[in-house]
Amino acid sequence: MAPPRPPDRFPAGPRYRSYLLFGMGSALMLPLGFELLCALWALASGDAAWREFQAGLRHPLRIAGHAVAGVWLTWVALRFFRLFPKTQPFRLGPFRRPPDWLLVGGLYGVFAAASLALGLWLAGRIGGLG
Amino acid sequence: MAEHTKIIAVTRFDPERDDAPRSQEYEVPVQEDWKVLEALNYIKDHLDPTLSHRWSCRMAVCGSCGMNVNGEPKLTCREPLSNYGERVEVAPLANFPVVRDLVVELEGFLEKLGALKPWIMLAKQRAPEEGATRQSPAELADFKQFSMCINCMLCYAACPVVANEPDFLGPAALATAHRYNLDSRDEGAAQRAEIMRGEGGVFSCSYANECAEVCPKNVDPAGAIQQAKLANVLSWARSFVVRRRAAS
Ligand code: SF4
Ligand code: FES
Repeated sequence: MAPPRPPDRFPAGPRYRSYLLFGMGSALMLPLGFELLCALWALASGDAAWREFQAGLRHPLRIAGHAVAGVWLTWVALRFFRLFPKTQPFRLGPFRRPPDWLLVGGLYGVFAAASLALGLWLAGRIGGLG
Repeated sequence: MAEHTKIIAVTRFDPERDDAPRSQEYEVPVQEDWKVLEALNYIKDHLDPTLSHRWSCRMAVCGSCGMNVNGEPKLTCREPLSNYGERVEVAPLANFPVVRDLVVELEGFLEKLGALKPWIMLAKQRAPEEGATRQSPAELADFKQFSMCINCMLCYAACPVVANEPDFLGPAALATAHRYNLDSRDEGAAQRAEIMRGEGGVFSCSYANECAEVCPKNVDPAGAIQQAKLANVLSWARSFVVRRRAAS
Protein backbone atom coordinates (compact mmCIF):
# COMPACT_ATOMS: atom_id res chain seq x y z
CA MET A 1 0.00 0.00 0.00
CA ALA A 2 1.24 3.54 -0.74
CA PRO A 3 1.06 6.00 2.17
CA PRO A 4 -1.51 8.82 2.05
CA ARG A 5 -0.38 11.99 0.33
CA PRO A 6 -1.56 15.40 1.58
CA PRO A 7 -4.25 17.31 -0.33
CA ASP A 8 -2.90 18.61 -3.64
CA ARG A 9 -1.20 21.98 -3.42
CA PHE A 10 -1.48 21.93 0.38
CA PRO A 11 -0.76 24.27 2.06
CA ALA A 12 -0.08 26.93 -0.58
CA GLY A 13 -3.01 26.29 -2.96
CA PRO A 14 -5.85 28.79 -3.26
CA ARG A 15 -8.23 26.36 -1.53
CA TYR A 16 -6.28 26.63 1.72
CA ARG A 17 -5.12 30.22 1.54
CA SER A 18 -7.92 31.81 3.53
CA TYR A 19 -7.81 29.04 6.13
CA LEU A 20 -4.08 29.51 6.65
CA LEU A 21 -4.36 33.28 6.67
CA PHE A 22 -6.99 32.92 9.36
CA GLY A 23 -4.74 30.63 11.42
CA MET A 24 -1.65 32.77 10.91
CA GLY A 25 -3.50 35.72 12.38
CA SER A 26 -2.57 34.38 15.79
CA ALA A 27 0.90 35.78 15.06
CA LEU A 28 -0.78 39.22 15.09
CA MET A 29 -2.92 38.49 18.11
CA LEU A 30 0.11 37.73 20.27
CA PRO A 31 1.79 41.19 20.01
CA LEU A 32 -1.62 42.89 20.15
CA GLY A 33 -2.46 41.04 23.35
CA PHE A 34 0.92 41.98 24.78
CA GLU A 35 0.33 45.61 23.81
CA LEU A 36 -3.02 45.55 25.58
CA LEU A 37 -1.33 44.28 28.74
CA CYS A 38 1.26 47.08 28.45
CA ALA A 39 -1.57 49.59 28.07
CA LEU A 40 -3.26 48.32 31.23
CA TRP A 41 0.07 48.36 33.05
CA ALA A 42 0.71 51.94 31.93
CA LEU A 43 -2.80 53.00 32.96
CA ALA A 44 -2.26 51.55 36.41
CA SER A 45 1.15 53.22 36.72
CA GLY A 46 -0.06 56.81 36.58
CA ASP A 47 -0.32 59.74 34.17
CA ALA A 48 3.30 59.91 33.07
CA ALA A 49 3.44 56.20 32.15
CA TRP A 50 0.17 56.45 30.24
CA ARG A 51 1.36 59.49 28.27
CA GLU A 52 4.59 57.70 27.45
CA PHE A 53 2.62 54.69 26.22
CA GLN A 54 0.42 56.93 24.07
CA ALA A 55 3.49 58.64 22.60
CA GLY A 56 4.87 55.20 21.69
CA LEU A 57 1.72 54.51 19.69
CA ARG A 58 2.65 57.32 17.27
CA HIS A 59 5.72 55.46 16.03
CA PRO A 60 5.25 54.69 12.30
CA LEU A 61 5.95 50.97 12.85
CA ARG A 62 3.23 50.77 15.49
CA ILE A 63 0.81 52.61 13.20
CA ALA A 64 1.62 50.24 10.33
CA GLY A 65 1.19 47.24 12.65
CA HIS A 66 -2.20 48.50 13.79
CA ALA A 67 -3.29 49.13 10.22
CA VAL A 68 -2.40 45.54 9.26
CA ALA A 69 -4.15 44.21 12.39
CA GLY A 70 -7.22 46.31 11.59
CA VAL A 71 -7.48 44.90 8.06
CA TRP A 72 -6.88 41.37 9.30
CA LEU A 73 -9.43 41.62 12.13
CA THR A 74 -12.03 43.02 9.72
CA TRP A 75 -11.41 40.12 7.35
CA VAL A 76 -11.63 37.59 10.22
CA ALA A 77 -14.90 39.16 11.34
CA LEU A 78 -16.37 38.96 7.82
CA ARG A 79 -15.26 35.32 7.47
CA PHE A 80 -16.86 34.60 10.84
CA PHE A 81 -20.12 36.29 9.75
CA ARG A 82 -20.24 34.15 6.61
CA LEU A 83 -19.64 30.91 8.47
CA PHE A 84 -21.67 31.69 11.60
CA PRO A 85 -25.28 30.79 10.67
CA LYS A 86 -24.65 27.12 9.96
CA THR A 87 -22.89 26.65 13.30
CA GLN A 88 -26.21 27.26 15.02
CA PRO A 89 -28.63 24.43 15.77
CA PHE A 90 -31.58 24.06 13.38
CA ARG A 91 -33.88 24.55 16.33
CA LEU A 92 -33.47 27.11 19.10
CA GLY A 93 -35.81 25.90 21.86
CA PRO A 94 -39.26 25.60 20.28
CA PHE A 95 -38.31 27.87 17.33
CA ARG A 96 -36.64 27.12 14.00
CA ARG A 97 -33.33 28.85 13.43
CA PRO A 98 -33.85 32.32 11.87
CA PRO A 99 -32.96 32.48 8.16
CA ASP A 100 -29.25 32.86 7.39
CA TRP A 101 -29.69 36.33 5.87
CA LEU A 102 -31.18 37.58 9.11
CA LEU A 103 -28.33 36.21 11.23
CA VAL A 104 -25.66 37.52 8.85
CA GLY A 105 -27.49 40.86 8.48
CA GLY A 106 -27.68 41.17 12.28
CA LEU A 107 -23.95 40.53 12.64
CA TYR A 108 -23.14 43.10 9.93
CA GLY A 109 -25.48 45.57 11.65
CA VAL A 110 -23.75 45.16 15.03
CA PHE A 111 -20.33 45.38 13.34
CA ALA A 112 -21.26 48.59 11.49
CA ALA A 113 -22.79 50.17 14.61
CA ALA A 114 -19.77 49.25 16.77
CA SER A 115 -17.33 50.56 14.14
CA LEU A 116 -19.27 53.81 13.84
CA ALA A 117 -19.40 54.27 17.62
CA LEU A 118 -15.67 53.54 17.90
CA GLY A 119 -14.88 55.94 15.05
CA LEU A 120 -16.94 58.72 16.64
CA TRP A 121 -15.36 58.09 20.01
CA LEU A 122 -11.83 58.19 18.58
CA ALA A 123 -12.71 61.40 16.73
CA GLY A 124 -13.82 62.92 20.03
CA ARG A 125 -17.44 63.35 18.89
CA ILE A 126 -18.84 61.18 21.65
CA GLY A 127 -17.56 60.24 25.12
CA GLY A 128 -14.72 62.01 26.83
CA LEU A 129 -11.87 61.46 24.35
CA GLY A 130 -10.29 64.32 22.50
CA MET B 1 -21.78 13.28 -31.07
CA ALA B 2 -18.58 15.32 -31.61
CA GLU B 3 -15.41 13.51 -30.57
CA HIS B 4 -11.90 14.76 -29.89
CA THR B 5 -8.96 13.53 -27.84
CA LYS B 6 -7.79 14.53 -24.40
CA ILE B 7 -4.76 13.42 -22.45
CA ILE B 8 -5.83 11.69 -19.27
CA ALA B 9 -2.91 11.46 -16.83
CA VAL B 10 -3.76 8.71 -14.38
CA THR B 11 -1.91 7.80 -11.19
CA ARG B 12 -0.76 4.20 -11.38
CA PHE B 13 0.49 2.12 -8.50
CA ASP B 14 1.07 -1.61 -8.37
CA PRO B 15 2.15 -2.52 -4.82
CA GLU B 16 4.00 -5.58 -6.15
CA ARG B 17 6.07 -3.63 -8.68
CA ASP B 18 6.16 0.06 -7.79
CA ASP B 19 7.90 1.75 -4.88
CA ALA B 20 5.68 4.78 -5.20
CA PRO B 21 2.72 5.95 -7.30
CA ARG B 22 3.60 7.31 -10.76
CA SER B 23 1.63 9.04 -13.50
CA GLN B 24 0.75 7.45 -16.84
CA GLU B 25 -0.77 9.33 -19.77
CA TYR B 26 -3.46 8.00 -22.10
CA GLU B 27 -4.79 9.62 -25.22
CA VAL B 28 -8.54 9.17 -25.04
CA PRO B 29 -11.09 9.97 -27.78
CA VAL B 30 -13.71 11.68 -25.62
CA GLN B 31 -17.24 12.80 -26.38
CA GLU B 32 -18.60 16.19 -25.40
CA ASP B 33 -21.03 14.91 -22.79
CA TRP B 34 -18.64 12.52 -21.07
CA LYS B 35 -17.95 12.54 -17.38
CA VAL B 36 -14.44 11.88 -16.06
CA LEU B 37 -15.47 8.33 -15.13
CA GLU B 38 -16.34 7.56 -18.75
CA ALA B 39 -12.80 8.41 -19.82
CA LEU B 40 -11.43 6.07 -17.12
CA ASN B 41 -13.80 3.31 -18.23
CA TYR B 42 -12.67 3.85 -21.83
CA ILE B 43 -9.05 3.43 -20.75
CA LYS B 44 -9.92 0.23 -18.87
CA ASP B 45 -12.03 -1.21 -21.72
CA HIS B 46 -9.92 -0.21 -24.72
CA LEU B 47 -6.42 0.90 -23.75
CA ASP B 48 -5.24 -0.72 -20.55
CA PRO B 49 -7.27 -3.41 -18.75
CA THR B 50 -4.85 -3.35 -15.80
CA LEU B 51 -6.19 0.01 -14.57
CA SER B 52 -7.98 -0.26 -11.22
CA HIS B 53 -10.66 2.20 -10.17
CA ARG B 54 -13.91 1.99 -8.21
CA TRP B 55 -17.35 2.90 -9.43
CA SER B 56 -20.84 1.45 -9.37
CA CYS B 57 -24.03 3.53 -9.71
CA ARG B 58 -22.82 6.18 -12.18
CA MET B 59 -25.38 8.59 -10.73
CA ALA B 60 -23.76 10.15 -7.64
CA VAL B 61 -25.49 7.80 -5.24
CA CYS B 62 -23.09 5.00 -4.24
CA GLY B 63 -20.15 7.26 -3.38
CA SER B 64 -17.53 4.87 -4.74
CA CYS B 65 -16.03 6.91 -7.59
CA GLY B 66 -14.40 9.74 -5.60
CA MET B 67 -10.98 10.77 -6.95
CA ASN B 68 -8.83 13.86 -7.19
CA VAL B 69 -9.36 15.47 -10.58
CA ASN B 70 -6.79 18.16 -11.33
CA GLY B 71 -6.11 18.25 -7.60
CA GLU B 72 -9.72 18.68 -6.47
CA PRO B 73 -11.74 15.89 -4.83
CA LYS B 74 -14.64 15.06 -7.18
CA LEU B 75 -17.21 12.37 -7.87
CA THR B 76 -15.94 11.27 -11.26
CA CYS B 77 -19.34 9.99 -12.41
CA ARG B 78 -20.74 13.50 -11.96
CA GLU B 79 -17.81 15.61 -13.06
CA PRO B 80 -18.04 16.68 -16.74
CA LEU B 81 -14.81 16.24 -18.65
CA SER B 82 -15.68 19.43 -20.50
CA ASN B 83 -14.88 21.36 -17.28
CA TYR B 84 -11.20 20.66 -17.95
CA GLY B 85 -8.64 21.47 -20.58
CA GLU B 86 -6.83 19.14 -22.95
CA ARG B 87 -4.91 17.42 -20.14
CA VAL B 88 -6.73 16.07 -17.11
CA GLU B 89 -5.00 14.59 -14.08
CA VAL B 90 -6.81 11.86 -12.19
CA ALA B 91 -5.32 10.71 -8.88
CA PRO B 92 -6.55 8.69 -5.92
CA LEU B 93 -8.19 10.68 -3.12
CA ALA B 94 -5.67 12.52 -0.97
CA ASN B 95 -5.29 11.64 2.73
CA PHE B 96 -5.91 7.91 2.17
CA PRO B 97 -3.44 5.08 1.71
CA VAL B 98 -3.49 3.81 -1.87
CA VAL B 99 -4.24 0.12 -2.43
CA ARG B 100 -3.70 0.19 -6.18
CA ASP B 101 -3.91 2.84 -8.94
CA LEU B 102 -6.98 4.93 -8.05
CA VAL B 103 -8.29 2.67 -5.30
CA VAL B 104 -7.86 3.89 -1.72
CA GLU B 105 -8.01 2.04 1.59
CA LEU B 106 -11.17 2.88 3.57
CA GLU B 107 -10.66 0.59 6.56
CA GLY B 108 -9.48 3.46 8.77
CA PHE B 109 -12.59 5.49 7.99
CA LEU B 110 -14.91 2.54 8.62
CA GLU B 111 -13.33 1.96 12.03
CA LYS B 112 -13.80 5.62 12.96
CA LEU B 113 -17.38 5.59 11.74
CA GLY B 114 -18.17 2.39 13.64
CA ALA B 115 -16.72 3.81 16.86
CA LEU B 116 -19.30 6.61 16.70
CA LYS B 117 -22.19 4.08 16.68
CA PRO B 118 -24.00 5.42 13.61
CA TRP B 119 -27.31 3.74 14.22
CA ILE B 120 -30.43 4.42 16.27
CA MET B 121 -29.87 3.41 19.88
CA LEU B 122 -32.72 2.97 22.33
CA ALA B 123 -32.49 3.01 26.10
CA LYS B 124 -35.02 0.16 26.19
CA GLN B 125 -35.99 -2.11 23.32
CA ARG B 126 -39.57 -1.49 22.18
CA ALA B 127 -42.00 -4.38 21.99
CA PRO B 128 -43.61 -4.88 18.54
CA GLU B 129 -47.06 -4.23 20.01
CA GLU B 130 -45.95 -0.71 20.95
CA GLY B 131 -46.08 0.07 17.24
CA ALA B 132 -43.79 2.07 15.01
CA THR B 133 -41.80 5.01 16.36
CA ARG B 134 -43.27 8.05 14.72
CA GLN B 135 -41.38 11.06 13.51
CA SER B 136 -42.92 14.30 12.27
CA PRO B 137 -41.68 16.08 9.12
CA ALA B 138 -40.38 18.88 11.38
CA GLU B 139 -38.35 16.37 13.40
CA LEU B 140 -36.99 14.86 10.19
CA ALA B 141 -36.00 18.33 8.99
CA ASP B 142 -33.76 18.66 12.07
CA PHE B 143 -31.23 16.19 10.64
CA LYS B 144 -32.23 15.31 7.07
CA GLN B 145 -29.41 17.30 5.49
CA PHE B 146 -26.83 15.34 7.50
CA SER B 147 -28.37 12.01 6.52
CA MET B 148 -27.66 12.54 2.81
CA CYS B 149 -24.02 11.43 3.11
CA ILE B 150 -22.97 8.79 0.58
CA ASN B 151 -19.57 8.11 2.19
CA CYS B 152 -17.73 9.28 -0.90
CA MET B 153 -14.80 10.56 1.22
CA LEU B 154 -14.30 13.76 -0.77
CA CYS B 155 -14.50 15.66 2.51
CA TYR B 156 -11.62 13.65 3.98
CA ALA B 157 -9.52 14.28 0.89
CA ALA B 158 -10.02 18.05 1.22
CA CYS B 159 -9.61 18.39 4.98
CA PRO B 160 -6.31 19.89 6.22
CA VAL B 161 -6.93 18.54 9.73
CA VAL B 162 -7.25 14.96 8.41
CA ALA B 163 -3.94 15.58 6.61
CA ASN B 164 -2.19 16.60 9.82
CA GLU B 165 -3.95 14.56 12.49
CA PRO B 166 -4.41 10.93 11.47
CA ASP B 167 -6.55 10.31 14.58
CA PHE B 168 -9.11 12.96 13.65
CA LEU B 169 -12.43 11.14 13.23
CA GLY B 170 -13.13 13.36 10.25
CA PRO B 171 -16.01 15.22 8.63
CA ALA B 172 -18.36 12.48 7.40
CA ALA B 173 -18.09 10.29 10.51
CA LEU B 174 -18.70 13.20 12.89
CA ALA B 175 -21.54 14.59 10.75
CA THR B 176 -23.18 11.16 10.77
CA ALA B 177 -22.85 10.88 14.55
CA HIS B 178 -24.43 14.32 14.91
CA ARG B 179 -27.21 13.24 12.54
CA TYR B 180 -28.11 10.39 14.93
CA ASN B 181 -27.86 12.65 17.97
CA LEU B 182 -30.41 14.96 16.34
CA ASP B 183 -32.78 12.13 15.41
CA SER B 184 -35.89 12.28 17.63
CA ARG B 185 -35.97 8.44 17.74
CA ASP B 186 -32.43 8.08 19.04
CA GLU B 187 -31.37 7.85 22.68
CA GLY B 188 -27.68 7.21 22.21
CA ALA B 189 -26.18 10.72 22.36
CA ALA B 190 -24.68 10.09 25.81
CA GLN B 191 -22.92 6.97 24.51
CA ARG B 192 -21.46 8.88 21.57
CA ALA B 193 -20.47 11.90 23.69
CA GLU B 194 -17.21 10.55 25.06
CA ILE B 195 -15.71 9.78 21.68
CA MET B 196 -17.16 12.90 20.03
CA ARG B 197 -15.58 15.14 22.71
CA GLY B 198 -12.39 13.10 23.06
CA GLU B 199 -9.09 13.06 21.22
CA GLY B 200 -9.67 13.45 17.47
CA GLY B 201 -13.30 14.41 18.07
CA VAL B 202 -15.25 17.53 17.16
CA PHE B 203 -12.85 19.88 18.94
CA SER B 204 -9.99 18.85 16.65
CA CYS B 205 -11.85 20.56 13.80
CA SER B 206 -10.52 24.05 13.13
CA TYR B 207 -13.39 24.92 10.77
CA ALA B 208 -11.45 25.17 7.54
CA ASN B 209 -14.84 24.53 5.88
CA GLU B 210 -13.20 22.70 2.98
CA CYS B 211 -15.34 19.61 3.56
CA ALA B 212 -18.47 21.68 3.00
CA GLU B 213 -17.00 23.16 -0.18
CA VAL B 214 -16.33 19.80 -1.81
CA CYS B 215 -19.29 17.74 -0.57
CA PRO B 216 -21.34 16.70 -3.62
CA LYS B 217 -24.51 16.13 -1.59
CA ASN B 218 -24.57 19.42 0.35
CA VAL B 219 -24.31 17.56 3.62
CA ASP B 220 -22.18 20.36 5.07
CA PRO B 221 -20.18 18.30 7.55
CA ALA B 222 -18.43 21.48 8.73
CA GLY B 223 -21.77 22.89 9.87
CA ALA B 224 -22.66 19.59 11.58
CA ILE B 225 -19.35 19.55 13.47
CA GLN B 226 -19.73 23.15 14.71
CA GLN B 227 -23.28 22.36 15.85
CA ALA B 228 -21.98 19.24 17.57
CA LYS B 229 -19.32 21.32 19.36
CA LEU B 230 -22.02 23.62 20.73
CA ALA B 231 -24.27 20.69 21.70
CA ASN B 232 -21.39 18.95 23.46
CA VAL B 233 -20.38 22.05 25.40
CA LEU B 234 -23.99 22.62 26.49
CA SER B 235 -24.52 19.01 27.53
CA TRP B 236 -21.20 19.02 29.42
CA ALA B 237 -22.20 22.24 31.19
CA ARG B 238 -25.63 20.80 32.00
CA SER B 239 -24.13 17.64 33.44
CA PHE B 240 -21.73 19.74 35.53
CA VAL B 241 -24.60 21.79 36.98
CA VAL B 242 -26.68 18.67 37.64
CA ARG B 243 -23.70 17.02 39.43
CA ARG B 244 -23.13 20.15 41.56
CA ARG B 245 -26.83 20.29 42.45
CA ALA B 246 -26.93 16.59 43.33
CA ALA B 247 -23.84 16.99 45.54
CA SER B 248 -25.22 20.01 47.45
S1 SF4 C 1 -20.12 14.39 3.95
FE1 SF4 C 1 -20.30 14.79 1.74
S2 SF4 C 1 -18.19 14.69 0.98
FE2 SF4 C 1 -18.19 13.71 3.02
S3 SF4 C 1 -18.48 11.53 2.61
FE3 SF4 C 1 -20.52 12.40 2.96
S4 SF4 C 1 -21.29 12.95 0.92
FE4 SF4 C 1 -19.09 12.63 0.72
S1 FES D 1 -20.34 5.76 -9.42
FE1 FES D 1 -21.68 5.87 -7.70
S2 FES D 1 -21.29 7.87 -6.94
FE2 FES D 1 -20.11 7.79 -8.74
